Amino acid sequence: MGLYENIRSERVSRLSLRDPVVVHENATVRDAIEAMRLNQLGCAIVTDRNRVPQGLFPESEVTRLISKNSAALDEPVTQYLKTDWPTVSMTDPIARVLEALESHNVRFLIVVDEQGQLAGLTGQKGLMEYVAEHFPGQVIVQRIGGNPYPVEREGA
Amino acid sequence: MTDKRRPAESGEFQDPLENYDPKIYSDPLEKALAEESVAAIQYRPAAFATPNTPIHKAVEQLANLHVACLLIEEEKRLIGVFSDRDVLDKVALEFDQIKDKPVSDVMTKDPAFVYESDSSAAALSVMAVLGFRHVPVIDVKHKALGIISPQRVTTFLRKHSLG
Repeated sequence: MGLYENIRSERVSRLSLRDPVVVHENATVRDAIEAMRLNQLGCAIVTDRNRVPQGLFPESEVTRLISKNSAALDEPVTQYLKTDWPTVSMTDPIARVLEALESHNVRFLIVVDEQGQLAGLTGQKGLMEYVAEHFPGQVIVQRIGGNPYPVEREGA
Repeated sequence: MTDKRRPAESGEFQDPLENYDPKIYSDPLEKALAEESVAAIQYRPAAFATPNTPIHKAVEQLANLHVACLLIEEEKRLIGVFSDRDVLDKVALEFDQIKDKPVSDVMTKDPAFVYESDSSAAALSVMAVLGFRHVPVIDVKHKALGIISPQRVTTFLRKHSLG
């Protein structure tokens, strides 16, 4: 089967999911940024006691906050949480990821299990890796950056 | 031997491409990745700044333009990018101390790039293999022409994957 069929038949669980950064609901924006830096991830998620996601704090919000008021670093992160962030289920087809990323214009998607609890994080990077895995002959072998031709003659 | 494959010794003109069998792709996306250039992925508009732009101005530019990445050019040559990730990693917690310094202090220097004529797969490779999210598109003089964002690649993938 080609990618066309696979993204309709294969499930989100087939993607390489990332461990999300979860911060407490009492955490400050500063706490969230420190956790995101530590885990090298561009978002943090707040969940309730049952690990049900309450919202997502993306790095784009960090840029927006800093540009307006750097004192916001010590405010609760819940004030700046995006509570309507799109989620996908582990059992959704991968096509749903593609649709959600494009229609919501976001980089990350929250992945939940059948109980609606946080199961992981996916997004554009996971999707790119999935496509690269399908077409290694096209994607993996590419020359990346640098000069396409030797600047100096090779050898004698 | 079919007539199509007759040898050139027959004396008649033979088009060397006559025997060329075009590559058959297993998937429309594979064909698009191989045969369509970077130009098939939208890479404009893009936002630009100079290396001596103060950090606070560059951050404002990102926020006000609702973009995730600025292309930093010096003498019409791409020398770096400044993105939301740079703000998160190097600026956010240090903002009050460094906001008046030049953006060149915190930008990502010498980013991986693609040429406009590269295949669209090359842009995907930078993202999937190297892990960079924003891929500048440059010309042969190293001038930045635009930028490929993950959103723009997603649109390209969707166009060729979902029909």
